[in-house]
Amino acid sequence: MTVIKPSETLEHKVTNLLHEGFNARAFGKYRLPEALGDSRWTDEMIVATWYMAETGEVPPDLNYKTGKSNGGFDRLDFKFLDEQEWLEHSDALDTTLELNRRGDERDKLSCDLPFYGGGMSYGSVSLNVMMARAQNSAKWNTYMSTGEGGYPEPLLEYKDHVITQVATGYFGVEEKYIQSTPIVEFKYAQGAKPGLGGHLLAAKAGEEVAKLRGSVAHVSLFSPFPFHSTYSVEDHSKHIDWIQTVNPDALIAVKVSTPHDVDMVAVGSYYAGAHIIHLDGSYGGTGAAPELAKKVIATPIELALPKVHDFLIKEGVRDKVTLIASGGVRTADDVAKAIALGADGCVLGTTDLVGIGCTRCANCEGGPSGRGCPFGITTTDVELQEYMQQDWGAQRLDNLYKALQWRLRDILRKLGLSSIKELVGRRDLLRYIGGDP
Amino acid sequence: MQVLQGETRGGANVSGGNGSKRLTIAEFAARSAGRADEYHRYNIDTVETKDVQPLPNRFIVKVGKVGLAKFLFKETIQYWGKWDVITSRPCTYGVFSGPVGGFNPRPKLCVGCLRCTVQHPEFTTITPNPARAALGDDYVTHLHISAIDEEARKGTIPVRGQGYRGKFGGPGWEGMFTDMSEIVRPSRDGIHGRELIGTSVDLGSKPMSLEFDDSGVLTEAGPQMVTIQVPFIFDAPPASIATPKLHRIYTKTAADIDTLVALPADVVRSEGLASPEVVPIIPLTAVATVAGFGNGTRIIELDGWDASLYLEATTTAPHLLVGVRMSFADGWQKQLLEVQAAGVPIIHLIADHHGLGVDGGFVMDTLREAHMLLVDAGVRDTVTLLGSGGVIAADHLPKAIICGLDAVALDLPLLFALQARARGDLSDRDDTPIKMPRRLSEQWGTSRLTNLSASWRDQLLEILGAMGIREVRRLRGEMGRGMWQTDLEAEAFAGIEGFPGGGA
Repeated sequence: MTVIKPSETLEHKVTNLLHEGFNARAFGKYRLPEALGDSRWTDEMIVATWYMAETGEVPPDLNYKTGKSNGGFDRLDFKFLDEQEWLEHSDALDTTLELNRRGDERDKLSCDLPFYGGGMSYGSVSLNVMMARAQNSAKWNTYMSTGEGGYPEPLLEYKDHVITQVATGYFGVEEKYIQSTPIVEFKYAQGAKPGLGGHLLAAKAGEEVAKLRGSVAHVSLFSPFPFHSTYSVEDHSKHIDWIQTVNPDALIAVKVSTPHDVDMVAVGSYYAGAHIIHLDGSYGGTGAAPELAKKVIATPIELALPKVHDFLIKEGVRDKVTLIASGGVRTADDVAKAIALGADGCVLGTTDLVGIGCTRCANCEGGPSGRGCPFGITTTDVELQEYMQQDWGAQRLDNLYKALQWRLRDILRKLGLSSIKELVGRRDLLRYIGGDP
Repeated sequence: MQVLQGETRGGANVSGGNGSKRLTIAEFAARSAGRADEYHRYNIDTVETKDVQPLPNRFIVKVGKVGLAKFLFKETIQYWGKWDVITSRPCTYGVFSGPVGGFNPRPKLCVGCLRCTVQHPEFTTITPNPARAALGDDYVTHLHISAIDEEARKGTIPVRGQGYRGKFGGPGWEGMFTDMSEIVRPSRDGIHGRELIGTSVDLGSKPMSLEFDDSGVLTEAGPQMVTIQVPFIFDAPPASIATPKLHRIYTKTAADIDTLVALPADVVRSEGLASPEVVPIIPLTAVATVAGFGNGTRIIELDGWDASLYLEATTTAPHLLVGVRMSFADGWQKQLLEVQAAGVPIIHLIADHHGLGVDGGFVMDTLREAHMLLVDAGVRDTVTLLGSGGVIAADHLPKAIICGLDAVALDLPLLFALQARARGDLSDRDDTPIKMPRRLSEQWGTSRLTNLSASWRDQLLEILGAMGIREVRRLRGEMGRGMWQTDLEAEAFAGIEGFPGGGA
């Protein structure tokens, strides 16, 4: 079948129908689709995220806080104060996240939100998706990561909010883009497939994708695991030296998954020179991963965070490094719980995608059609990618982030805290709840 | 020694067997190619093998005919002449691409993306198919069966987008994770370094030490072992569905992939299946017949334990490895040590199809206990532990090995690979309500089991690669490579109000 770019009329028709459909679903005009959702992202949570992306507000009658996974974040709740002790909901409640706590000469960066956008490569998602995320990141003074697929030139418009990722395949890694970025992220591993490297199936490695990655079109691309030049903390330190030479101002983020010794990995990364240690738990998103790896290898982020936080304290370096959590962080409530468990902030990925219309059908890798996401999100198909346009996506993300920030402030005020920083490591403000939530 | 020289340039004289010898580039290439052809690394070749009895569709697709007709009429007017717009479909998978489009959708193609229900919520509905969800029982779920079905069809590792979709953890294997290493690799060769990971295991007994006489000669014969290329064998199918054809499928596949199949001794005899790959299971009442198999038979299993009968079997057939099948019945721990002490080289532990013993213990726990009993007694290497029951997904294989098995004996997964259908609770080994498809050719069945084996081996390689382990033998009983939800939660949530046993 020959796939061609849709005519303007067809694009207009499809996008209009989709936009109206998302709106109708979000406002409950039709009952929740029975085939939507799963234990982690329930039907209510998905539609609630659509509602937030439509309105910028949290929904009045949908559970936008927790899923039904019967564990982790879904079994934790906050120990809110009595209502008379709650603070006023106001913009003065601080949600900023500092990214350079080492006290070195590099840029003192911070985000207005305690989260930023996770790496999703060009190829795994469309350029429109990347641009929408970058546009929104600039608006909210936060960041998004290129993922491992190179740095599409149009992203330079938002370069102060785009993290350049250097991963094990070195796809699209160029000096120019390391020099353009405020943060360089070394991806050692990914929570959804820890220890397995990356995989872009041939169906999604089209001409443009291959060009950016310096590869051959329509050939599956594997990122090896691990960095074949890194077998120790000392090797890792050399990596950081290399980046420092190319861009002396950039902060260094190190993304690792959550093995049993993740606490040692975190401390090692700090001593190698990392500003940001990013732990990616095993329930995180992916464009393609063996089903086996998503649950079985490494641990969920909720179970890794306290250990790392405590060990960094024990080593006397906790206040010198920014600890970021990802991998199954879905909602504002999850963000706050992750912070209470020990993180400084979070990385969101799937939440962004659900905001712009993802139904979590899991056909991102290509699916039986080989064309990727039918909503135009995780695809570079010349037709489908036109059904998720940049401005619409950026507006949805803007609304979503507004609602997420509102809920974070709501949590803070009910805990009597004036800043998200006061919540870090406060496990005493959490309660474990039994049974199916 | 030989040395390479250019085609047109003379090289140094180098000594060879009969004087000096010079190789041209062409000669060198030819010789190298020959040597390369001799090189063999174990691999399981697969061929996509279509369904003979497809699973029920995942989804039911309903389209309101009146709503669709109204929509098409409106679009035809609105977009008259723009046929690309009028004929566009809200499905990239072809559900509405039949001759009459949405008026007769094709649900077997539906993957549940729900774009049609977003784009046209007023007249399309996608619902999960209850017939699909009803597959299996409360342990072997439709998700397990679907995964096995895909693995047996394609012979590849199931790969999907998006993250994990299930429960946080859970009972049994669901509450166990495997560890990984952030930087250590088994090898730098190949794409992931996993091409050189070994999956072969040895069945039999190794001496805990070697003993020599005064002249330095070994006083005993070396270990008697059988090596198979994958850490799993095939266990006998339930008698209720066993047929000669099914036995031949099992036996042929076992031979092709270099593993073993355990079958009842009377079947082996009556169907003439004796071969190096077949392990006859001999009732204790028939021990006198153990020597009668021949044709390369290497291992037999006694179906139960009796010390005197075991002695009789080993005396009658000293050339065979004689294993013992034992269940997790009351007092199994004591019996395990007794069987080991009697010198049995292979102990095959049998749980029910749900992985439970008589006392209700699940294999994840009982296997660990069995392994540690032998470790604590200082005799673990003198015996091979095989295990049947409860292993129904690819990840259960490395988990069972971490818990102490040397190799797993597969049971239900083989039947679901052959598209068997469950008809009730599958736990009982003696009365398993399962039905095989009517059309079952030997070639098709062998191909499906080969595909399943390849897929599970490849998934084992993923796990081993992530850990940085170079061979599966090193994984046996490596409980440090396993992480248990209960332990991790106790550590992470200690001090959190309401956490069982750790609340402030």
